[in-house]
Amino acid sequence: MSYKIPMGPYHPALEEPYKLDLICEGETVTDAKLHIGFNFRGIEHLAETRNYIQVIALMERVCGICSNIHTLTLCSAMEKLTGLTPPPRAQYIRVIVAELERLHSHVLWAGIAAKLMGFKTMFMTCFEIREKVMDVLQAISGNRVNYSMNRIGGVNRDIEDPQSIVTMIDALEREMVKTIIPIFTTSTTARSRCAGIGVLTREKAVSCGVVGPVARASGVGQDLRKESPYAAYGEMEFEVPVQPDGDVRARLLVRALEIMESCKILRQALTKLPPGELASGGDGSKFNFTTGTATARVEAPRGEVMYSVSWKEGSRNPSRVHVRTPTFVNMPSVRYMVQGARLADTPLIQASIDPCYSCTDR
Amino acid sequence: MNTAVSASETITATLSGGGPLNEPWVERGGVFWFECAGITVREVARAMNAVGARFITMTAYQMPGNEGLRLEYHWDLEGRLLGFNFTPGGNSIESIYDLCEAVDWIEREIREGFNIEFTGREYEPLLLREGNVCGVNLREEVAK
Repeated sequence: MSYKIPMGPYHPALEEPYKLDLICEGETVTDAKLHIGFNFRGIEHLAETRNYIQVIALMERVCGICSNIHTLTLCSAMEKLTGLTPPPRAQYIRVIVAELERLHSHVLWAGIAAKLMGFKTMFMTCFEIREKVMDVLQAISGNRVNYSMNRIGGVNRDIEDPQSIVTMIDALEREMVKTIIPIFTTSTTARSRCAGIGVLTREKAVSCGVVGPVARASGVGQDLRKESPYAAYGEMEFEVPVQPDGDVRARLLVRALEIMESCKILRQALTKLPPGELASGGDGSKFNFTTGTATARVEAPRGEVMYSVSWKEGSRNPSRVHVRTPTFVNMPSVRYMVQGARLADTPLIQASIDPCYSCTDR
Repeated sequence: MNTAVSASETITATLSGGGPLNEPWVERGGVFWFECAGITVREVARAMNAVGARFITMTAYQMPGNEGLRLEYHWDLEGRLLGFNFTPGGNSIESIYDLCEAVDWIEREIREGFNIEFTGREYEPLLLREGNVCGVNLREEVAK
């Protein structure tokens, strides 16, 4: 007998409100329908009512985890419309903050995944490590969530003590190699909850157009930091981890390996941080926009973020800002991941794409 | 040979080599725009499938006055961002969902947000709840 189990919009397994209607035969999920829009704030419309300074603060609030990525993408698009190029030091600082954000986002996800596996000790370990990254971000920017680092033409704050960040990276890397990666890859609990669960085949990943770690865990090796480098990524040496299996374990491994690669990028950026100005374009209070539309993309922790920004010359406000977030394209693939899965595995499967509904709904 | 077929062939021919993109591609604002009239969105979708491009998103723009709406479609091909512009006649345009699964949610979102009908597909509500109305103009709502 087939029956429907509604999961959400408010449910203990969901970090944010959305709704999954699971169609089940006994304990097996045969299909799922997804409903979003519970976090809709009309941010794209609000952006049209804000000037070029205010809109940066507004778009930083699209997401509570990868807030910096949104201002980085928005500022990159606005720089195309103003003809400004950030100076080299600003480009490096953008890379450093973006990678610190990737670190805390991936470690946060590992903690939540551990919690959903019933592995609460690991949850605490992950959050303890994440706290160290948050401390560094706070030391740089003065804030733990909305860093206000990006402005049109550069960054607002300098990194005055790069060595202190290197020390944190060393500690994080040690903990990853010594504790987190071995436990996630060898523990029986982690293996039994993750291996062969929630599979997204390479063909389906391509068909759904998924991005970021979800794509890379299904054997699709795309990463904008390599394919279309922005900021100072063209000067960094790093690998793009790819796993072929497409299951929850593959997504876990890809993120764990990406943490190691982020550490590698951070070391290079901190070591080579060039001297010079933090921003071009004067004191940052007046900008001249040309009429037109500019588009920018960056590789956020969850995958590609794209902003299309339209402006009319002489206007202080954008005439249109469109945001395409990674969860918006990754989430529809959950329907295929849960088909044939056990009902008890669905919380972990949906969490394995590292969903963000604030981003998705905007 | 009609114009639409040749435009579609131009897309595949110019993208297959992997070299620099020249006319009819024009780089503007970080996007390579295909500026060739007479091609339909379904022909573009088939051409993008043929070259192995990845659909990213589409963006709806409300034009000033009574000029209606404009749609921008974006694909990625090996890190290059490709763009195509279309003006939906009478607020409707052919859906490409059967050719490109990744377009599902954004077609549904634009239908609900801008009241553009994507013909040839069935919908389920994405953002709307019972009693909500398609295509509410937020500018006019806020101005009330």
